[in-house]
Amino acid sequence: MKKSILILVLVLALALPGAVLTAGAADRNTFVFASYGDVKDWDPAIAFSLEVFMLRQVYEGLTVYNTPGEKPLILPGLATSWTTSDDGLTWTFNLRKGVKFHDGEPFNAAAVKYVIDRNKKLGKGAAFIWAAVKEVKVVDDHTVQFLLKYPAPIDIIASAQYCAWMYSPKAGEKGTDWFMQGNAIGTGPYKVDKWDKSQQTVLSAFKGYWGGWMDNNFKRVILKVVTEESTQVQMLKSGEADAASLIPIDSIPGLKKDPAVAMLTPPSWKNYMYLINVKKFPTDNLKIRQAINYACDYQGVIDGVLNGGGSIPSGPIPATMWGHDPNLRIYDFNLEKAKKLVEESGIAKDKLKITIAYIGTSQVYSNVAQMLQANLAQIGITVELLPGPWGTIWDKAKNLETAPNMQSMAWWPTYPTPSDWLIGLWRTEDKTLFNLSHYSNPKYDKLVDDGAAAEGLDKARAIELYSKAQKILVDDAVAVFYADVNDQAGMRADIGGFIYNPSYNIARIYDLYRK
Amino acid sequence: MKKYIGKRLAFTLLVLFGVCTITFFVSRVIPGDPASMWAGPKHTQEQLEAARRELGLDRPLLVQYLDYMGNLLMGDLGVSIRTKQPVLEEVGRRYAATFELVTVSILIALVIGVPMGVISAVRKDKAIDHASRAFSISGVAMPVFWLGLILQMTLHGNLGWFPLQGRIGSMVLIDHPINDITGFYLFDSLITGNWPAFFSSIKYMALPALTMSFASLAIVTRITRSSMLEVMREDYVQTATAYGVSRRTILYKYALKNALIPTITIIGLAYGLMLGGSVLVESIFDWPGLGSYIVLSITRNDFPGIVGSTLVFATTYLTINLIVDLIYFFVDPRIKHPGSKG
Repeated sequence: MKKSILILVLVLALALPGAVLTAGAADRNTFVFASYGDVKDWDPAIAFSLEVFMLRQVYEGLTVYNTPGEKPLILPGLATSWTTSDDGLTWTFNLRKGVKFHDGEPFNAAAVKYVIDRNKKLGKGAAFIWAAVKEVKVVDDHTVQFLLKYPAPIDIIASAQYCAWMYSPKAGEKGTDWFMQGNAIGTGPYKVDKWDKSQQTVLSAFKGYWGGWMDNNFKRVILKVVTEESTQVQMLKSGEADAASLIPIDSIPGLKKDPAVAMLTPPSWKNYMYLINVKKFPTDNLKIRQAINYACDYQGVIDGVLNGGGSIPSGPIPATMWGHDPNLRIYDFNLEKAKKLVEESGIAKDKLKITIAYIGTSQVYSNVAQMLQANLAQIGITVELLPGPWGTIWDKAKNLETAPNMQSMAWWPTYPTPSDWLIGLWRTEDKTLFNLSHYSNPKYDKLVDDGAAAEGLDKARAIELYSKAQKILVDDAVAVFYADVNDQAGMRADIGGFIYNPSYNIARIYDLYRK
Repeated sequence: MKKYIGKRLAFTLLVLFGVCTITFFVSRVIPGDPASMWAGPKHTQEQLEAARRELGLDRPLLVQYLDYMGNLLMGDLGVSIRTKQPVLEEVGRRYAATFELVTVSILIALVIGVPMGVISAVRKDKAIDHASRAFSISGVAMPVFWLGLILQMTLHGNLGWFPLQGRIGSMVLIDHPINDITGFYLFDSLITGNWPAFFSSIKYMALPALTMSFASLAIVTRITRSSMLEVMREDYVQTATAYGVSRRTILYKYALKNALIPTITIIGLAYGLMLGGSVLVESIFDWPGLGSYIVLSITRNDFPGIVGSTLVFATTYLTINLIVDLIYFFVDPRIKHPGSKG
């Protein structure tokens, strides 16, 4: 008797709420975003990762990078216009009037100065983007000047998705610890309502936003933590999530066929490559490096591993990024050429052993490595695969004694510039950080340094210098560039207003509406 | 009795100290550099060195150890290198989530498993015995991950009875937030009369708890069955039957109580196993628990996270085993503890 009552109670407890509550489905005015992780760094001066999902809704920068191909290149943000001096060392920004922070403080030149000064002083995260700035000067309430040590494209830098967000000086005063409690004070359309750790962050419309509100704007945003990829896919299909951040490649074809989902795979600024160790035998031999480049089945990777989600690159800079040189030497998949180069190298067959390191948990990296291993076997090179977690393999790759012959790498820019690759990956490093090719070429160093200096002043000259630098890299076969990766933007089909922009990892939800 | 408990507690503290020390040193042997995680994804050499100094990783290992143990005694488990949040607060919150899930799973295993075990024993070799055996074996053999996904697909995807993931509904969390008293959603919402949150929590807990309970349910059923069979063969059961005592009384008053001893042992072990194995269920259902926390800590070289979580797991396991030993005493007065009279 007692047992039956217990069972009855349990059944009711499960069934009743289903009937009583309407399953708590979010209303039309709420945008639910499935994030693959929780917010870690709440301080906008430090955040350098998926925090951008939250940052882009709550904060704004002085400028916004326009969709590539659109004109003008840079759109006004919190700054309405800007000018440069002839020598490129002084940038003057005119600020938008009547803008308030979420805490009621006014947005003005003093706030801009405070933010840049604090970000530089903290020196964390992406603070290096302000390295060219010598001083920020307050001219008047709505005019601010950047005085530079050397020419730099401050208009592009100010549009970066990290370290360029304007936050209230009063909030900055409270310090990082205060931010880390889940606080955020920006000028953006949404403010932070609450942060349920490891579960979700809830944002709601900031009534005083300078851009104003329309009926069809989303009034609330929920950034839900959904760590499992397959769960994200299910939520997107069922409509529980309006957008997903991490969709497994295998699910993409199915989602493209689903009428309720708008699954886009636009080209991005991310590319995959193997950095070849130019100081370690036998890859210290140019012919061997070139042979490896000819032994990679580029189309096979794009079709078989990435399911068409990418394109064959030419050189270190992705095709959609300015500064890309389409006239570089092409290494195509040609085993005959590869074999010939191996013979020309003069290295004995039994000495042709190399190691390839990559992140073991990634299906993509695993598959590409195994494909390359099979192809290299055909030209007489034996490959030992070294999978591992990023922390471990990176540590090993930094030291020449423990570094592999080839290091799998993915790269994308912090703000849109070719120098991010050219300097970040191949400029001479005294203490190796990301130059895992261990490449050191003074001629190359000068080209990229001059190119970076020219960016703020004479874009055409910068492009010219960068071209020369890219040619050196490709001729020297310092890497195997095997994919310009497509991004993924999975959204419900009833969400309108979305235009993909590779400069930002998430859209501005304020620009979206439900059809 | 008191002396016994006292000795056990002292022993527990000694074991915890040892666990802490070993975990502390072992976690530092795992390859990988937490300073680079602290410094951010694309850091410079200077940022890396600054991070190392900030985390105190440039000091001698022994100094770091003494510093950590000193803080530990004052209740400070440090700051997680991975999430930058205080470890004590994080571990406490996630532990409550896992403990709640595991406890409900064990309850399910007991509520379903014990009666099923009894019935199987009573109707030995009949249809229901075979059915329960098949059920048990599949419960033990089925990979937890696969079972969770199947339940998700059928009970959520096809039937829509239960939610997909999470610990509570998103909107419920916004509109009916739960007062954080113990960290157990069911308990906290119940005592504050927060009915929407209470029912939402039950709904969201159903699938993960069911998934997690399967293996233990299977074991509880089999153990109960076999120990019931043993007990029912005993002389005193035959005697009671001969005296005309009702079947029900014999089963539940005399036999079951004695048959439960092995079952209680299993529960103690099951708690430990489930706490340690909860990461799979937590991953599938995005349950913000300690299992996924400790796995993330280990794979990201988060020393404070690793030691903090291990400490909590060890404490739980030791406490549960102590309680199980004490329960023996009450269930079977024949089991004497050193220091008890009688």
